[in-house]
Amino acid sequence: MSETRVEAAVQAAFKDEWGRVVATLIRRTGDWDLAEECAQEAFAQALISWARDGVPAKPGAWLTTVAGNRALDRLRRGARGAQLLEQIAYDPLRSPSADKDDEDDDQEPDVIEDDRLRLMFTCCHPALALEARVALTLRALAGLTTAEIARAFLVPEPTMAKRLVRAKAKIAAAAIPYRVPPPELLPERTPGVLAVIYLLYNEGYAASSGDELIRAGLCDEAIRLARLLRRLMPGEPEAAALQALMLLQHSRRDARVDSGGDLVTLEDQDRGLWHRDEIAEAEALLAEGGRAESQGALDDAGWAGGEASRDDAGWAGPNSSIGPYRAQAEIALLHTREPTDWVRIVALYRALAKATNSPVVELNLAVAVAMAGDLEAGLALVNELAQRGELGSYHLLPATRADLLRRRGELEQAAAEYQQALELAPTEAERRFLRRRIAELAG
Amino acid sequence: MNYLMLIFTDGVSTPEIAATMQEHTPKWVEEMDGRGVRLLGNGLEGPDSAKTVRVRGGQTLISDGPFADTKEFIGGLDIIEAESLDEAIEVAAKHPVSWYFAVEVRPFKYAVEIPKDWTYDQVRYLLMSCIDGPAELDQLEEQVRGDIEAWLELAQARGARLVGGPLAEPSTATTVRVRDGETLLTDGPFADTKEFLAGIDILSCETMEEALELAAANPLARLHMLEVRPFWGG
Repeated sequence: MSETRVEAAVQAAFKDEWGRVVATLIRRTGDWDLAEECAQEAFAQALISWARDGVPAKPGAWLTTVAGNRALDRLRRGARGAQLLEQIAYDPLRSPSADKDDEDDDQEPDVIEDDRLRLMFTCCHPALALEARVALTLRALAGLTTAEIARAFLVPEPTMAKRLVRAKAKIAAAAIPYRVPPPELLPERTPGVLAVIYLLYNEGYAASSGDELIRAGLCDEAIRLARLLRRLMPGEPEAAALQALMLLQHSRRDARVDSGGDLVTLEDQDRGLWHRDEIAEAEALLAEGGRAESQGALDDAGWAGGEASRDDAGWAGPNSSIGPYRAQAEIALLHTREPTDWVRIVALYRALAKATNSPVVELNLAVAVAMAGDLEAGLALVNELAQRGELGSYHLLPATRADLLRRRGELEQAAAEYQQALELAPTEAERRFLRRRIAELAG
Repeated sequence: MNYLMLIFTDGVSTPEIAATMQEHTPKWVEEMDGRGVRLLGNGLEGPDSAKTVRVRGGQTLISDGPFADTKEFIGGLDIIEAESLDEAIEVAAKHPVSWYFAVEVRPFKYAVEIPKDWTYDQVRYLLMSCIDGPAELDQLEEQVRGDIEAWLELAQARGARLVGGPLAEPSTATTVRVRDGETLLTDGPFADTKEFLAGIDILSCETMEEALELAAANPLARLHMLEVRPFWGG
C-alpha cells in the first residue's frame, strides 16, 4: 500500500477515533497522561503496521486494542501498576464490546456506554477554569497538540502546557468524577458543554490575528464536537440547535470577507458564495427538532405575526420556551432567506433577550425592530441600552446607532457615531469597514 | 475522599442573614451527619482571637491576628467524606453560608482518621499550617517529614491532637457560591493570597498557651508560620 494512502488513512482515523481511544483508556486506567501517550503510540504504530498489513477493517477497534495493550505493558512495569491492573481486571481492555462499538458507526451509539460523552462532561466540568476546559477538550477529544492549542489561543506553549497539567492534576486530586452527570445534574451541566463548544467556534470565527489557519480550524473542530454531542445526546434539542447554528454561521465563511480582507455585512454578501449544503443540513437539524413546537412557543408568547410591540408579557422562561441556541439558529436560518422575515426575527430576539439577559442580544433586537419597519423604536432601544451603560466601550453600540441614524437620513450624526465606533473597534478589519462607512457618508 | 470545607464570611450580617443561618445551619448539620458525609466540624471564634506563630533563630514570635489579613475570613470548617467533587459541591451548596458568602472545598492529601467517639469538648483549637509565598509542597513535605513525625508523636503523647493532615495543592480547590438558586463555581481557593493554607490540625488542648506551645514546636513554624484559633465554646 502506498505511503500516502496509509498516511491518509491514519489521518482520517485520527480525526474519527482519537477521542474514542483516549476516552476509553481514561475510563479504564483513570490516568489521562497514560491514555494520551498510549493513544499517540497506537497512531504511530498504525503508520508502520498498516503500511505492512493494510488498513484494518475496523481501524477504531484496532487502535483501541493497540493503545490498550501499550497501557497494560506500561502498568505492568510501573510502580502503581499492580494495583491498577487489579482494578482493570474486572474490565479487561480487550472487551468484546470494543469491536461491537465500532461496527455500527452510523447507528445511534449507546448513550450510557460511550466514553466520549463522559470525557466531554469531565473536560467541561465547571470546577475547572474556563480556559482549562477549552484546552482539555481540544487535547483529549479533538487530539490537538499542546503546541497547536497554544497557537490557537495565542499563548506561549509552556503556559498552555502548565494549564493542561494543572487541570489534570485537579481532576485527579479533587476527584472530579469521570462520568455523564446523573439526570438531576444534567440541566445544570449540559449548557457548560455547549458553551465550551460554541466558544471554540467563536475563537475560530473571530480569527483576526495569530495563526489564521489553526484558528479557522477551530470552527471545524467545534462543528465536529457538536455533531458528536448531538449523536451522544439525542434527547437534547440544544445540541442539535448548536450544531445547526454553527453550520449556518460557517456556511457564510467565504462571503463575510472580501478579496481585500474586508468584512462584508450580511446584507451585502454574495449569496452565491454561501455553502448551500451546510445551510440545508442545518435546516434539516432544526426541522428534526420540531419547528412547529417552537412556532407554538412563539405564538403563545404573542409575538409571531405581531407588530414589534414592546410589551413583553407572556414569555414564561426557558422551560416553556425554546433554548438560546435554538433561537439563534432559527434567526440565522431566517437570514438565509429572501425576503427576510424580520417580524419573526424580532420575536426570536425577544425570546432570547429574556432567556439570556444579555445586552448584546438586546442590541441585536434593536436592529431587528428597526429592520422590521419601526426605525424609531429600534433607535429608542439602542439609546436606552446606551443609557444603561452595560455595554461600556463595545464598539458595536455606536456602530449600530450610526447605522440606524444613517437609515433615518441623519448623516452628520451617523458619521459622528461611526467615528466613535472606529476609536473602539478591536480589529483592523473592523476599523477598515468603519472608515469605509464614514467615507460613504461624506461622499 | 476527604475534603475540607472552609466557611468564609466577612462577618457582616443582617437580621435576615442571621435568621437564615440560625434556621438552616442545624438542618444542614443534621442532614449531613445523617448521610455520613460530615465527619467533624464547628465554627471558629473571630479573627481577633487568632495568633500567628513563627520561630526564627530559636526565638518564638507570636503576633495577634490571622496569617492573611483579608476582609473575609474563615469562620468555621467541616471535614467531609464525599464520593467525588460533585458530591462535595452539592454538600457545600446546601450550606447556608454559600448562599450569602462562599465555601471553599479542598481535598485532603491523604484520608484523615477521625476517632469515632469524638466530642465537641475535644474540638478546641484549630492549627493552620500557612505557607508564606510560593513553595513546592512536595519538597517541603520531604524536608520536614522526620520532624513532623516527631511532632505528631509529641502531640499524641500529650493527647492534644484530635485529627488533621496536609491538604492538596491550593490549585485543586473549588469555591462554591449559590446565587438566585444557581450554584456558581470558581476554580481555585477563595482567597488568592501569597500566603496559603497547606494543612490543618485540630487540637484538644485545654488552653491557648498549650496550643501555642505545640504550634511553636511544629517544624513549619521555623520555615513558615502557624495560625492558632479557638473553636466556638472552646
